[in-house]
Amino acid sequence: MGTFVQQVFNGLTVGGIYALIALGYTMVYGVMRLINFAHGDLCILGAFIGLTLLSGAAGSGHPGVALLLLAFVLAIAVVAAAGVLLEFVAYRPLRRADRLAAVVSALGASVLIENGIMIVWGPNVHVFPSGLLPETVWHVAGAAITFVQVLIILASVVLMAALYVFVHHTKFGTAIRAAAIDQDTARLMGINVNRVIVTVFVVGPALGAIGGLFVGVYYREAYFTMGWVYGLYAFIAAILGGIGNIPGAMLGGVLLGLFNAFAAGYISSSWQDAITFALLIGILLVRPTGLLGERVAEKV
Amino acid sequence: MSRKFLLGAAAAAAFVATGGVAMAAPPILIGVQAPITGTYADEGQGIQKAVQLLADEQNAKGGLLGRKIEVKACDDEGTASQAAICARQLVDAHVVAVIGSYTSGAALAAEPIYARANVLQSSDGTSNQLLERGYQTWFGNAPPNSAEAVFTANYLVNVRHFKRIAVLTDHSSFATGLADEVEKDVKAVHGNVVDKAFINAGSQNFTPVLTQIKSLNPDVLYFSGYYSDGGLIRAQMQQLGMKAVFVGGDANQNVSFGKIAGSAAAGSVILNVPAPQDLPYPAAKQFVAAYKAKYGALPPSVYTLTNADGMRAIMQAIAETKSTDPKKLEGYLHHLKSFQGLTGTFAWNARGERTGSPFVAFEVDAQGNYSILYPKPAH
Repeated sequence: MGTFVQQVFNGLTVGGIYALIALGYTMVYGVMRLINFAHGDLCILGAFIGLTLLSGAAGSGHPGVALLLLAFVLAIAVVAAAGVLLEFVAYRPLRRADRLAAVVSALGASVLIENGIMIVWGPNVHVFPSGLLPETVWHVAGAAITFVQVLIILASVVLMAALYVFVHHTKFGTAIRAAAIDQDTARLMGINVNRVIVTVFVVGPALGAIGGLFVGVYYREAYFTMGWVYGLYAFIAAILGGIGNIPGAMLGGVLLGLFNAFAAGYISSSWQDAITFALLIGILLVRPTGLLGERVAEKV
Repeated sequence: MSRKFLLGAAAAAAFVATGGVAMAAPPILIGVQAPITGTYADEGQGIQKAVQLLADEQNAKGGLLGRKIEVKACDDEGTASQAAICARQLVDAHVVAVIGSYTSGAALAAEPIYARANVLQSSDGTSNQLLERGYQTWFGNAPPNSAEAVFTANYLVNVRHFKRIAVLTDHSSFATGLADEVEKDVKAVHGNVVDKAFINAGSQNFTPVLTQIKSLNPDVLYFSGYYSDGGLIRAQMQQLGMKAVFVGGDANQNVSFGKIAGSAAAGSVILNVPAPQDLPYPAAKQFVAAYKAKYGALPPSVYTLTNADGMRAIMQAIAETKSTDPKKLEGYLHHLKSFQGLTGTFAWNARGERTGSPFVAFEVDAQGNYSILYPKPAH
């Protein structure tokens, strides 16, 4: 029983991180029909921005929680700005071009950001300072749950709920959804589609930066190729939930985290990825558009 | 006739102008194949720096056989595919010998390419697969896995008297090789292995597999993989409230282990040959001091020094045989009775395996300092 509860919390913690990052993939895809392969690297840029501030301020006597809040604000600001810049430089000129051109541009941007991080911060593993957050451990039904885990799970739930309300219950959210259905028609209705796209490239990377910095705070390490690992998992989470669908990305992230924990814990740790991905293929065979994805008529 | 004389005079003039040896002959090329970027970048850069340092020191003494030593480095990123590319590049550049790589997987991918081209290879790779094909060009510079596994089994079962041993490894050829040997040798000394599990290196999230291991209630967790994962495993064991002692294989010894594990590092045990600055030999102390003076930091791990030993042995072979003929160098190194290395006295057997391995058990404290736990240092 204790083992089961522990695995649920293990899965929920990483699942929350996957979900936060997956939202960026799904929002961009929803509006632009583009897989932003640079998204994972943007998220890890957030971890490095936070790392720089936290290591610079370590031992300065300021309370850890205040520093951490500041690190999150800074990471969100820088990564959102990078997201907007990326859209402007790498995607906007190709908006009317062949879809493959934008995908290649996205892959190029991913390599560029990854290597940029390596040049600025160096190729080695960086370690976050310890003692920023309380090291409280709660024991629930035989499982040990730390403060950081609870923080990550709660923060992801709150952020995802806020995003849901923003997209489904505000005027601007309605504009985003309209642009996602048909950009030309949305334009005819007086929606500024460029502004919608810029907003998507602010909100997605901002959530990703939070996810990336959570990775750093939870595992206390960051290295420049990490964006690829988390980007891949989050991308799969977005596909699993139904790409383009916001609640789907949340569900996909959490499920992927749980699958992984149960596969490692109850079947075999050496097969954990194989089992997780086999399950994913199974789900996609039954529901090709993902768990919450709707079947959309092909636009010609 | 007169043209020949002129050429000769010009050569003689150049000889005098450059102070003799430098320009007299083309340099002796030594390759470095190492993960200069990527997860193991600090190790790879350490190997490159150590080889460069030794070459510079030798060149300051006039080089070898009247020729300068020139180092040519290639970044294999710690991956097998890039290693094969590096091997071809270095072979095409006509290097005499190659030092590296850091990971067994990268060394293994490059090994047949060097063997076919008759280029000597000295790597810290210790996977048994590196020995199986019997290449005469292979000279492992770290003690073999078998020595470490025998020491590990004895330490876990006979010294610490652990009753429930869990073994954890990643999927690399090095770590699985070591874990298999440890499991076999623990059973050979009647120890009890309760679980053998795997992690995916670099995946960071090890709590699912650790939760599973915790449910089996082991009193020790032995991890055969690398420090970047080992430090996190130690931290996540504490997070999950695991009471088992952490014992890590040699690749956990790196200054980053303590930083990554944080407060959880205290009490961890790592089995390895001593750290660079703890080596008692005068040559080692001199090398570490010169390295620190040149690069402003200590060598990242003892593998920097075992690779330096590979370089030193090959330089000695070139000097003693007065040749860069690979056959002569291989013969010399295979028949060397005992080589005075920075990491102790050793030799190579017919398979190119290093014989002579001074293993010790270290305890890591909260500040990440190492102290020798077993065998007790003699006073």
